[in-house]
Amino acid sequence: MISATGIEGIAIWGWLVWILPFVGAAIIPLVSKKGNRIRDYTAVAFALMSALSAASLLSITFAGDEVHSQISWISSLGIKAGVLLDPMSVIMTNLVAWISFLIIVYSVGYLHGDRDLARYWFFMLFFIGSMQLIVLSDNLLMVFFGWEGVGLASYALIGYWYRDRKQDYVGKEGHYAGKIAMWASPTHAGIKAFLQTRAADTMMLAGMFLIFMHSGTFGFKELVDNQAWAETMAQNNLLIPAAILLFGGAIGKSAQFPFNEWLLEAMTGPTSVSALIHAATMVKAGVFLVARIAPLFFALDALDTEAFFIVVAWVGGITAFLLASQALVNPEIKKVLAYSTGSQIGYMMMALGIAGVSTNFADGYTAGFFHMMSHAMFKASLFMGAGAVLHAIGSRFMTDMGGLRKDMRKTFIFMSISALSLAGAPLVTSGFWSKDAVFASLLESNNPTGIALFGLAFAVAIMTAFYTFRMIGMVFFGNKSKHIQELEEKDHHIHEAPNIMWIPFAILAVATIAIGVVGFLFEEQIHTVLSNYLLKSFGIGQDNEATGHGSTDVNDGGLNPIAVAASVIAFGVGGGLGYLFYIARKFDPNIISKSLTLSKIWSFLYNRWYLNSLLYWGSVEIPLRVYRIIWTYFESIVMEGISPLLQHTVSGLSRVVKSAQTGLTQIYLFVFAVGIMIMLLLMYLF
Amino acid sequence: MLDWTSTPFIVIVVLGVVGLAIPVYDALRKERGEKKNKLYSIISVAALIVTIFIVIARVLSGDVIAGMDFSKDSITDDMFGSFFAIALLIVSIMVTASSWNYLRGITASASYYSLILLSTIGMVLIAYSTDFVTLFIAWELMSIPTYALAAYAKRDPISNEAALKYFMFGALSSSIIVLAIGLTYGLTGTTNIGESIKELSSLDSGQFPVLILTVALFVAGFGFKMGIVPFHMWLPDTYEGAPTTIGALLAAGTKKAGFAAAIRIIIIGMFALQLDWSIALSILAIITMTVGNLGAIMQKSVPRILAYSSIAQAGYILIGLAIAPYSDIGLSGSLFHIMNHAVMKSAAFIAVAGIAIALASYSLEKYRGLGRRMPFTAIALTISLLALAGVPPLNGFWSKLVIFESAIDSGTQVPWGSHLAIAGVLNSALSLAYYAWIIRKIYMEESEDMRPVKEPKAIKAVLAFTIIFIVGFGIWHAPIYDFAKSSVPLFIGKSDTSIVITPTTQENNDGKPSLGKISTDTTLHFQSTKTVLTTT
Repeated sequence: MISATGIEGIAIWGWLVWILPFVGAAIIPLVSKKGNRIRDYTAVAFALMSALSAASLLSITFAGDEVHSQISWISSLGIKAGVLLDPMSVIMTNLVAWISFLIIVYSVGYLHGDRDLARYWFFMLFFIGSMQLIVLSDNLLMVFFGWEGVGLASYALIGYWYRDRKQDYVGKEGHYAGKIAMWASPTHAGIKAFLQTRAADTMMLAGMFLIFMHSGTFGFKELVDNQAWAETMAQNNLLIPAAILLFGGAIGKSAQFPFNEWLLEAMTGPTSVSALIHAATMVKAGVFLVARIAPLFFALDALDTEAFFIVVAWVGGITAFLLASQALVNPEIKKVLAYSTGSQIGYMMMALGIAGVSTNFADGYTAGFFHMMSHAMFKASLFMGAGAVLHAIGSRFMTDMGGLRKDMRKTFIFMSISALSLAGAPLVTSGFWSKDAVFASLLESNNPTGIALFGLAFAVAIMTAFYTFRMIGMVFFGNKSKHIQELEEKDHHIHEAPNIMWIPFAILAVATIAIGVVGFLFEEQIHTVLSNYLLKSFGIGQDNEATGHGSTDVNDGGLNPIAVAASVIAFGVGGGLGYLFYIARKFDPNIISKSLTLSKIWSFLYNRWYLNSLLYWGSVEIPLRVYRIIWTYFESIVMEGISPLLQHTVSGLSRVVKSAQTGLTQIYLFVFAVGIMIMLLLMYLF
Repeated sequence: MLDWTSTPFIVIVVLGVVGLAIPVYDALRKERGEKKNKLYSIISVAALIVTIFIVIARVLSGDVIAGMDFSKDSITDDMFGSFFAIALLIVSIMVTASSWNYLRGITASASYYSLILLSTIGMVLIAYSTDFVTLFIAWELMSIPTYALAAYAKRDPISNEAALKYFMFGALSSSIIVLAIGLTYGLTGTTNIGESIKELSSLDSGQFPVLILTVALFVAGFGFKMGIVPFHMWLPDTYEGAPTTIGALLAAGTKKAGFAAAIRIIIIGMFALQLDWSIALSILAIITMTVGNLGAIMQKSVPRILAYSSIAQAGYILIGLAIAPYSDIGLSGSLFHIMNHAVMKSAAFIAVAGIAIALASYSLEKYRGLGRRMPFTAIALTISLLALAGVPPLNGFWSKLVIFESAIDSGTQVPWGSHLAIAGVLNSALSLAYYAWIIRKIYMEESEDMRPVKEPKAIKAVLAFTIIFIVGFGIWHAPIYDFAKSSVPLFIGKSDTSIVITPTTQENNDGKPSLGKISTDTTLHFQSTKTVLTTT
């Protein structure tokens, strides 16, 4: 282990990874005056430089090192800034950097000709920089700064098309659920995302300061090295609440239940933004935070932190099921992908949570982390592909698409590959292996929670395969929709995406297959790296019978047959149904409208389990009514009376001071003399 | 030991030579106009930049005595002086650089730059002086050029009135300082600050009334420059009437030199005297903040608002001075705020100067719609105002935070400590009333004439620097704060029985116990009412 106190050696690159995007963001407004090309390429260049800096850190992962570089920051409070480069954060930072880079390249084509791209590039780079700050920083306070930066950038980018044109909305216009409008404009969606994640951030802040209060530090290393704080907190019954509050921040950013609603409206942003939010930044921040703090809480000797991990696992399980079920019926392509993201992140949370209650922490930890990696790749690819389709069709509804496989051949091929990975096509896709790892970790946890969650996860896998096939079928198969026919009548031919757009998502699609082919070996490799990391940095995995944690029952890494069978069956059932309904078109999906029960379920799912309505009633409609009452009976009477009083007092005092300032020098001199007298008096008195 | 390579000498030589050479050159060359103005501006800025680099290089090289040194010579070369030297030189650089635009049309620019340079020497020397006579000479060297500079718009009656008031009060305060120095000499028989403190500490209690008078006179004399209520009456008139760039020099420069003198003599020196000026200064601090903030509200002229705001800021700085004996971060907080305030306040004044060049007005009403007419100047002014108000994460927030923190910190020993903090926070809130009012005018309101106005280039460059400084050191304030901390002696504890000025060891100092020294090898150690000097 290397621990540096300054910025030297390889640590420089660690700092550059997150500083460079910020520098780029600051430069964008300046170069945007020089022309559009130079502006776009500046953004690409900074994203690339950041990615190269990240790549130069990879040796840390291979060597299993840990580099910790600190400088003094808020020295008045004794708080230091630093980057913590360990195998986990280095893998993550590369994932973020390279996917972001591809998305940035893609947006050059996707948003070509948009009128205020300087703002776009500024916030994209700001977004990436903030995310890298979260990944690399060595303390919770800096994480929080990145956290808020991510929140700000997401708000600005979700509401990027702030002119609120109808084509940028999400949801079907006129669709109400529980008297709440289910469609939203970009600005509305931006505010919604901001407020919901902000509510979660407040929880995180509370958790951070609870820990700071007892430990006097925000640093991850310091928290591990001296664990006295945890004992004090456990005695006061504060440890689990603080951990769950911290997790609250992760719930918000990762759009987990009950903070999941913002993610769906967040589709109002440009599709490249959605890709960034779903694959590289934002929602992955929550998972990463859990990956950062989970070993920390697990490694607390002699303290029972199981409750925290159970909460994490169940939140993941519920979200996975909730959002997968809603994805089954949604007609908008980006929204299906958004539901799918929330649901897949549920898998990661399940795995990370179950790790803490199972006999082998590293198994679940690796499964969650591996699934995050593979999901980042195929989801970014899917979003970019969806963007290419939207770009060509000009509609967000899958009912307006159909039969596109001939006109958009490349998009079709690469999107299908990524979709297979999402659906978990056996043996050749990364999604299969990572999902399998999650299943295995749930099964092998030797814990009833794990078994219960496995059932849930299995159901989710079936639904995932179904809605993925449905999406591909509706977009690329069948007959051309009315909308496309109208377009073609107007002599508007459907075109393939330009090179700068399809190449980035092709790269990622190929990567998922490449990882999928060597899938099991790859997983083993990550398992080794992360187990060593956990052992070195936290001492997890050592023989420690006394605590019951980290027992010697180390899984020798063989495949779990039940997990593999479950993955294959889920793919077969869900994918098969999806194939029959939407690709082969043997049955008409509209049969559900004939059955009363089925159509009731359909509208329950389509109305998002009425959670959105509940949210708006609870946080908007009812507070508004209460506010009106307060306004009528309190504000307008009491406050209106008090505030002029305050105003008159201040302005009256101000007039006194001003009237003393006559401009006459003799009075000034008199006051000066009086001042000396007062001074003397004060000194004698006290 | 002082030699010719010590910082104060280098400052005197570089700035003195350039400052005297400019008028001589001007007298020899007969051509007139714009070109010469630019030339002198460049030369002065270059000389100042060279000087500041030398000062910084010497600080980094570690040759400078850490903390505050009371040398037996008349001048010392310590961190405390260097801290102020850097703050003051930054102000001078900003003022001279922006004068390039501001002086357009004024022909006698040679003497303008020369006077600024000479005044700068005075300011810097005050911070390094360890002898009352040197200090007084430096004081006058600082003041006299500024009297002339305040009257620089010689056909402008307001400028003349400003200069006259300034001069009268300057003369008054100088005589008060001389009187105080005389009394000190009478009591101790020496003009060396360190020596006289030693003498005073063994003073017969019968002479205490004289001592109290001396301290009160010092407070009044320095308080005039620091802008402490009730010695502040001249200040709004002068800051408003003087050319705006000179307003920046007065508000950000000479005011800070006043603090340098006050800290070395009143705070450190008189601390040894068993006099408890803490309550007196606390009361002055509260009055100063409140009067300054109340005065700024409802003003119509922006420089006048800034003048009152600088009175209020002096009040915040004074908090740190007042509770210095009870909190080990009080003085460093004050120094930290001094550095920040120097930049923020001169930024605000220079932005106002730039606006005055473009619009020929100081009236707040004319600032409506400025956000679109002069976007860069407007954003720079906004940032500096927000920093002055103490909005995070700008640099002004952190130094205020440290000051209030130190006040709360001292609350365990003195009951009024937390009251000071509360007063400071309330005043900060009050100050937003006028800072936000200006920002509101700039961005929320529109004027009849919304055409863009050309923004002066040199002023833009200076403002760009200030934005970087304010935002940059807001995000990462450790360098300035650590520097401030290593520039003051650390006070540890004061009870009824003992006051101790202890040497502290800084991390970057190889553990050399050199802070808080009164000559080179003795440490002040006061016990009980009868003070004893121990040698370590």
